[in-house]
Amino acid sequence: MEKQTVRSFVFVYLALIGLLALTVGSSFLELGRLNVFVNLAIAAIKAGLVAAFFMELRAAQAVVRLAALAGLFWLALLLGLSLADFLTR
Amino acid sequence: MPDSRALRAQFDDLGQQREAAALGMWVLLATEVLFFGALFTGYTVYRLAFHDAFVAGSGHLNVVLGTANTAVLITSSLTMALADVASRSGSRRAVIGFLAATAVLGSAFLAIKGLEYAQEYREGLVPLNSLVFSYSGPDAERVQMFFNFYFAMTGWHSLHLLIGIGLLIVFIVLAWRGRDRVRLEGNVRAGALYWHFVDIVWLFLFPVLYLVR
Amino acid sequence: MNAGPDYLHEGHSLRSWLLSTDHKRVAWLYLLSVTAFFFVGGTAAALMRLELVTPAGDLLAADTYNEMFSLHGIVMVWFFLIPAVPAVLGNFLLPLMIGARDLAFPRLNLLSWYIFAVGGLFTVITIVAGGVDTGWTFYTPYSSMFSNSNVVLAIVGVFVTGFSSILTGLNFIVSVHKLRAPGMRWFRLPLFVWSLYATSLILVLATPVLAMTLMLVALERLFGIGVFDPALGGDPLLFQHLFWFYSHPAVYVMILPGMGVVSEIIPCFARREIFGYSVMAYSLLAIAMIGFLVWGHHMFVSGQSVYAGMVFGLLSFLVAVPSAIKVFNWVATLYRGSISFETPMLYALGFIGLFSMGGLTGLVLASMAVDVHVHDTYFVVAHFHYIMVGGMVMAFIGGIHFWWPKISGRLYPEFLGRLSAILIFFGFNLTFFPQYIMGYLGMPRRYHEYPPEFQIYHLLSSAGAATLAVGYLFPLCYLAWSMFRGPLAGANPWHATGLEWQTGSPPPAHNFATTPQVTRQPYAYDPTRSREDRA
Repeated sequence: MEKQTVRSFVFVYLALIGLLALTVGSSFLELGRLNVFVNLAIAAIKAGLVAAFFMELRAAQAVVRLAALAGLFWLALLLGLSLADFLTR
Repeated sequence: MPDSRALRAQFDDLGQQREAAALGMWVLLATEVLFFGALFTGYTVYRLAFHDAFVAGSGHLNVVLGTANTAVLITSSLTMALADVASRSGSRRAVIGFLAATAVLGSAFLAIKGLEYAQEYREGLVPLNSLVFSYSGPDAERVQMFFNFYFAMTGWHSLHLLIGIGLLIVFIVLAWRGRDRVRLEGNVRAGALYWHFVDIVWLFLFPVLYLVR
Repeated sequence: MNAGPDYLHEGHSLRSWLLSTDHKRVAWLYLLSVTAFFFVGGTAAALMRLELVTPAGDLLAADTYNEMFSLHGIVMVWFFLIPAVPAVLGNFLLPLMIGARDLAFPRLNLLSWYIFAVGGLFTVITIVAGGVDTGWTFYTPYSSMFSNSNVVLAIVGVFVTGFSSILTGLNFIVSVHKLRAPGMRWFRLPLFVWSLYATSLILVLATPVLAMTLMLVALERLFGIGVFDPALGGDPLLFQHLFWFYSHPAVYVMILPGMGVVSEIIPCFARREIFGYSVMAYSLLAIAMIGFLVWGHHMFVSGQSVYAGMVFGLLSFLVAVPSAIKVFNWVATLYRGSISFETPMLYALGFIGLFSMGGLTGLVLASMAVDVHVHDTYFVVAHFHYIMVGGMVMAFIGGIHFWWPKISGRLYPEFLGRLSAILIFFGFNLTFFPQYIMGYLGMPRRYHEYPPEFQIYHLLSSAGAATLAVGYLFPLCYLAWSMFRGPLAGANPWHATGLEWQTGSPPPAHNFATTPQVTRQPYAYDPTRSREDRA
């Protein structure tokens, strides 16, 4: 079982390095405003991989997943409602 | 054989204690999300307002070193995850090895970061009190705002990493001295969650600061 | 029933108190320190009220006055109101109420008091070094660029104390999730525990934003890394958004635990089950949640976008719904109850009235057009004091009386208790009701002199403040007396139903001789039988 875990960690690691290459590469393409979204999407995928595998969020108790979600949700509130002001002036 | 100090008086069994510790760590990380979240919010507001100046400022960062640093940090997360696994299977020597590797990689990250700071200092891009911020392009004030955020964000991140390295060193010493397995496993688990979190923060900081287009 | 010595007799050395991880002893550390800060903040208020007796600025210079209201705000918000009920009563009662031996992380709990003490020390140093004059809100760019007072010291104090709030919140959340006794389902938790849980969510999720924001102000002052600097395009409103993202929810930190206390007292002295238990629990969570969506109502006249203002105004009305539900349910609990008027009940009833008053005037302020008129006037000052003092302080003192027999093992003198409760109620209204009127008439806050036509209101208000001060000193004296000389209380003098009353008074070090089994709802009171023959 441990061997399987280790193998999955190595795969995740390789995926993370691949995504890093992808994000740096994409920044040299002229995508205009799309660049930001590509970068953030890739960062989110990477963060998701780290959280799900390295931090074992996949197998965590429901309340732990809730805690992780709460952090993100409240960050969205902070960003969203602040921008509601800055973008509508 | 876990010694009697492994189970604290307020818990009924080790399973409950482990779940409580995991939840506690994750609540702390949710707190940390908001801690960095304040910085990200400020950054977003200004980047939307001063897009061109932020592109110009970002262009002065060293993407090669930044990319290398990201790879270093990702690798350190792998070794940390392996230390976590090793602490459960009980191989003390492997735990110490992986923890030490993680600490070395973390230090390498800080060293490279220092190199970048030195480079930016030479170019006059450090907006500290007594230093002259000598940016000659257009919109110098807004570019300085970018560098204010760059230093505030990477500075806080490096501080977190420094704390992480300190924790790792403590764990290595504890493992060396033959700390009871159950307690060591708990320490490494908590330390690993923290370390991965610091890694995740960087995974966002990197594109947000270095790859502004 | 008792296993071993009670927690007060577990050791008598100073060390056994300062290094104890027993949640009950940590609660005492907090009780003594927040009481001290309450009187520090109160002294600042007294000086301000004294200054305002006459229209001229004769007692305090303008600068000193600015330092006084800043000190009053900083000390009262971060060193009294926020820790008062959670860190004192919550620390003491939460493990008892869920049937646990301690909090999930007892050493972290002790650590959080030390962090609080260090933060407090910085605040005291700030005072000694000459104070700070930014107001408790630290608005930029005044705080970051222009103020010549000890802004950084004050910020460090608040920053450090923030971590003590975070650790307390974290400890409570994990304890409620993981340490409930067998049979203690979520919907058998006392409402006080629910209120602490909701409070903890706010502490954990809002405090870090304040910490980072204040740190950015300090970075700007110390190192010139000015993210709020207008010369670089910095937006003062960014500071305000970040600040109120914390500070508005923090208002709910200052009222939710008070609501929890009142929800324990009312059923006990009306001998009735709480009306609408589950709605009461949900409304606590709803207030905590919606409280995060309304912060922009502090910024209606600041240059914030009108559209954002409309959204924030609308959401602010929404938060009144769960608050009103709570008021209705308390009143419905009283209906056909067998009510008696002991001291805790007097405070709880006072709370309902004063909180309603403060809440309703909050709706007035949430209406954008009206707020333009009363923004930064005494109307606002009166509004939030009705919530903070009329609500939270009343609930805190009421709770201290209610659980005093449990905490100290002794009874307090009932007559003096009632007398001071009545004194505080009248003193409070005399202090703050005139402020509504003068605020509405245009008296702005934060001035040390004013046109003579406002003098009558200021006089009344200052007279009320003097009454209030006497009211607060009474409990301090008789509770100190009762601690050593009061008659023994016995395990359950109120014949209340909570788990905390099923162990000795004071409780043994590990709370319960055997882990309790919970089989029923928390408020199994019977109004048809008087308290005594229920026992």
